[in-house]
Amino acid sequence: MPEIIEPFEFKQCINISKSTGEKAKSLPELKNLISAVSDESIFHHTYQYFLKGHILEYTNDFAHWAGESLEERALAERLSNIDPYDFKNITDLRKELIRVIRVYLENFPEPREALPGDAFYFIETVTIIFPVGIRAKNLAEFLTAVKYIDIGSIYYHFFEARTRLGGETDDFSKWILEGFGKKGLAEKIRAIDPFMHDLVGIKAHLVEAIEEEVKKDMEVIDICSTGI
Amino acid sequence: MLDRYLGISPKSDLTMLQMFGAKMNKMSFLHINSTRAGGGVAEILQSMIPIFEDLGIQARWEVMEGDEKFFGITKKIHNAIQGRNEEITEEMWQHHHEINRRNAEKINLEADAVLIHDPQPSPLIEFRKTGRWIWRCHIDVSNPREDVWEHLAGYCKKYDGAIFSVAKFARPMGIDEFIIPPSIDPLCEKNRELSGEEIKDVLEKLRIPSDRPIILQVSRFDVFKDPIGVIEAFKIVKRYNDCILVLAGSPATDDPEGVMVLNEVTEYAAGDPDIHILLLPPFSDREINALQRSASVILQKSLKEGFGLTVSESMWKGKPVIGGAVGGISLQIIHGVNGFLVHSVEGAAFRTRQLLNNPEMAKAMGERAKEHARTNFLITRQVRDYLSVWHSLENRGKKVLKL
Repeated sequence: MPEIIEPFEFKQCINISKSTGEKAKSLPELKNLISAVSDESIFHHTYQYFLKGHILEYTNDFAHWAGESLEERALAERLSNIDPYDFKNITDLRKELIRVIRVYLENFPEPREALPGDAFYFIETVTIIFPVGIRAKNLAEFLTAVKYIDIGSIYYHFFEARTRLGGETDDFSKWILEGFGKKGLAEKIRAIDPFMHDLVGIKAHLVEAIEEEVKKDMEVIDICSTGI
Repeated sequence: MLDRYLGISPKSDLTMLQMFGAKMNKMSFLHINSTRAGGGVAEILQSMIPIFEDLGIQARWEVMEGDEKFFGITKKIHNAIQGRNEEITEEMWQHHHEINRRNAEKINLEADAVLIHDPQPSPLIEFRKTGRWIWRCHIDVSNPREDVWEHLAGYCKKYDGAIFSVAKFARPMGIDEFIIPPSIDPLCEKNRELSGEEIKDVLEKLRIPSDRPIILQVSRFDVFKDPIGVIEAFKIVKRYNDCILVLAGSPATDDPEGVMVLNEVTEYAAGDPDIHILLLPPFSDREINALQRSASVILQKSLKEGFGLTVSESMWKGKPVIGGAVGGISLQIIHGVNGFLVHSVEGAAFRTRQLLNNPEMAKAMGERAKEHARTNFLITRQVRDYLSVWHSLENRGKKVLKL
């Protein structure tokens, strides 16, 4: 454990959407365009779906469109089951999206087209990262900060970090492990499944895990004083 | 000015605005549109300019001048861009250009960033001097009359970037095209908090009884807002729940179709004392605010819609909205979470009954609606986005930027 712990600086990101000019009116068109658009566009329609904060029936924009606009519920379910965090890179995620749609089209070759005005519009984004002006030096401050920050900050440190850090880790657990050597807490945070919760849910799980650890630390002091 | 949004707008938006303010301190941001008052663009600029100034950005709002002929032509261009069959002759285009040339002589076009709103002043790009030039298109250009669009796009393609409200409103022009939804000002007369007394006064003035739940739709009397469908839905609801319907809109005296729709609606509602058709004069902001705050259920049962910002206005007042699943309405309502999206009269009636009979559910949905509007559709977010676009154009080609 290092002697000087680097404070955790909370950051946040916002995404400004940009039109790619590409749109799909049918499933075959969607499949073709998924294979052609930029990595940023695939990233936006899958990973950044979590930033919307209301994961209900669907977990990405493609599933949402298949379910709501084409009313192809079975395909929507299959696409929703694709967890982007299972993939090492966008190329593999893109291949899986195409595979699922291709298999569906082989079984159901003639799904209807989207109604006029209801096409799928491919978007990409420019991401702007900024510090939110909050720093935590210890776990108690960290807990207070996690309770206080906007959920956009949770997205940046918990969801976006997984792609930025290129592994199954996130900024929070990384700081806790490197700064305090608290392997158990770090693992508990890493074990929160980003695919199964919305941002509010993730925040609640984080608070619960950190609070438990802070309480445990305080109880250690209690036991010591009782011993004296 | 920005302090007034503390505790209202998301903290992170205000933090980001302050950071932009520090970065862009004393830089100049010029906005040009074609009207000082009336219409959503002027309304939002009135609220937005003081925010830019408060951030230390030298914001300037100029309104272009034109003769009657010019505005007649731009009205036709507007309609043609939205798909109507209007012919714009070469002479008309020349006049459009000439008026813009004259304005370019009068208006100081020097600024670090220039945001040109809508097609009327778009030819000003021909007279650019300095800075980044951005075309802000508030209308749907996805299905225009092609020859008219081609001519207009000749100007638009010369901008550094363009901004559209919804992805499907955009058209590829070979420049950066950003998607930024419109917003509401939570502090303006239409959206500010009202006291119980103020709400009561408005209801009394408008002779709206407050002893039964109010079902409300605020919209122009336009066939695409489906006022007849709203009445049909209300008639179904009335079989089960004692309530009243208020249809509030401005008179459309300059629009023959509007007058026809109003007559049809009045006729259809005749004989039912529980249907209140209100013709409010323009700028009846407090009245609309009070009606939205006193309603139990708010409908926006449009059949075709641009963005439909009245939905966000209602959501901001903590109301679950039942909206037609068209245009920008589907971007504001998350079905079953903060409101309902419907596709038929029967759907609107069923969801209205659900909300009337489950006040706890309606309250929870309304709270989520307010939070959704707070996070996504307040003016501070739109200011943030405009500055982000400017920042992005200064750093072209970069996908990730740090402040």
